[in-house]
Amino acid sequence: MAFLEQALNGLMMGSIYALFAVGMVLVFGVMRVLNFAHGVIFMAGGYMCHAVMTHVVAFYPLALLLSAAGGAVIGAVLERLVFRRLRESLPMQIVASLGLILMVQNGVLLLFGPEAVQISVPAMRTVVPLGPLGVTLQQVLIVVVVGVAMAGLHLFLTRSRLGTAMRAASQDLQAARVVGINPDRVFALTFALASGLAALGGALLGPLFLVFPAMGDLPLLKGLTAIVLGGMGSVGGAVLGGLAIGVLEAESTLLAPTDYRDLVVFAVLILVLLVRPYGLFGRRLRGEP
Amino acid sequence: MLSIRGLRAGYGGRMIVDGVDLDVAAGEVVTVIGQNGAGKSTLLKGIANLLRNREGAVTLDGENVFALSAQDLLGRGLAFIPQGRSVFPGLTVAENLRMGGFLLRDPVLLRQRIEAQLEAFPALAKLLGQLAANLSGGQQRQLELARTMVMQPKVIMLDEPSIGLAPQVVEQVFATLRTLAAGGRAVLMVEQNVRRALQASDRGIVLELGRARLQDKAAALLGDERVARLYMGKR
Ligand SMILES: Nc1ncnc2c1ncn2[C@@H]1O[C@H](COP(=O)(O)OP(=O)(O)OP(=O)(O)O)[C@@H](O)[C@H]1O
Ligand SMILES: [Mg+2]
Repeated sequence: MAFLEQALNGLMMGSIYALFAVGMVLVFGVMRVLNFAHGVIFMAGGYMCHAVMTHVVAFYPLALLLSAAGGAVIGAVLERLVFRRLRESLPMQIVASLGLILMVQNGVLLLFGPEAVQISVPAMRTVVPLGPLGVTLQQVLIVVVVGVAMAGLHLFLTRSRLGTAMRAASQDLQAARVVGINPDRVFALTFALASGLAALGGALLGPLFLVFPAMGDLPLLKGLTAIVLGGMGSVGGAVLGGLAIGVLEAESTLLAPTDYRDLVVFAVLILVLLVRPYGLFGRRLRGEP
Repeated sequence: MLSIRGLRAGYGGRMIVDGVDLDVAAGEVVTVIGQNGAGKSTLLKGIANLLRNREGAVTLDGENVFALSAQDLLGRGLAFIPQGRSVFPGLTVAENLRMGGFLLRDPVLLRQRIEAQLEAFPALAKLLGQLAANLSGGQQRQLELARTMVMQPKVIMLDEPSIGLAPQVVEQVFATLRTLAAGGRAVLMVEQNVRRALQASDRGIVLELGRARLQDKAAALLGDERVARLYMGKR
């Protein structure tokens, strides 16, 4: 029973990691940009949700949508102003990411103060009886919303004209130009999409945990691990990697003290990489032989 | 149709193509030949407005090419197939063809255009669900051509279309280019396979150190003793 309960908990956290990791993989796959500031966009999502709930209308579904939309706008702006120029240089991407993290975190401190804020959605604390287990509506909502978002993303990438163009650009940028795809537009779209998903994640996790300036650090760490585990560049791998890590760390608390769960996760990561250096679903990248 | 006057083009201040004049008319196949590094690829990229560093004038039906973006150029009818493979390896044949018509926003028109290409390249019709990466070299080249033709360009530029292909497949590719020209399009290609390419061409241009050393009817170039010695000797 405890095993099942932890599996559900793990699935819930895992979907947050997956949502986060997918965005980073998309941006990396299409632009070859590693955006470590993805975590602060997640955090900004939490704050936007809080701001909408307290100042606009206390209707959580709307706040979720607006947070995601706000994240998308932030992403498009960051791409245009910062990352588009840094596509050739990983060191510069890291420096810019760190700068952005500082800026956004300080901006949040200025606007909301150092105290963590709480998104209060009483209805979401309702316990849903799931057989012998009790989970809150919020936990169910997280899994469902992430599931819908992932399914939508999958349909977008595989069925739509723009989604196919995104995949095309990630495979061969010169060929994409040749068929008339404007790379800059694809980059902006990719960044907006990824950031929207990250902000949605922050808005989803907000009511369970608190919203505070460093709340993006956890998904950043776990999301990166999910990406490496799933195989850099594989969207499906990032999703499964995120879910696997969520479940793994939740189950590990049954065997060892909670403090050891990261150790378990990283031990498994290292084992996987020893057997499969490109990750579970990894392929070589564009440009590599 | 395509007119080039005093084209100079290069990279970072170093001009590789150094004053080329060339016209390509509808219905014509023109081949650029030259040693490795002569600037053949740079010439095509310069014409396609892919280099920041270019001077001179290129016009497509009288319109200034340098004032148009890559997307606009394609919309106006100038297509370019770059050197090396340019299919999207992780997309299926059908998806590659659809991307060929990325600029066509009308799905019905796109479907019609793709169907027309599947008639022109029947081998592709059986491969629609395959990933492009799994096609043979010849099939990938066919896919590139079909994908390009979805936009029905007036001018098609190709950088070494025969490279890496078996001799019969090379003949097929050149035959396709002849068919395209017969349909009223202009074809400008760069080729190392000089003899075969000239046999399929109306005219040729010999590029040496970024300059057009010689421009003539393909038949004349094929009979030229110096061209034969320099560019066809080892074949
Ligand atoms: N992206 C680039 N940046 C700087 N120099 C370049 C670039 N591409 C080509 N060059 C230089 O331009 C010159 C001509 O290259 P280009 O590719 O046009 O030759 P080519 O005739 O197509 O040769 P090949 O037969 O090998 O394809 C070469 O000296 C090459 O080093
Ligand atoms: Mg070349």
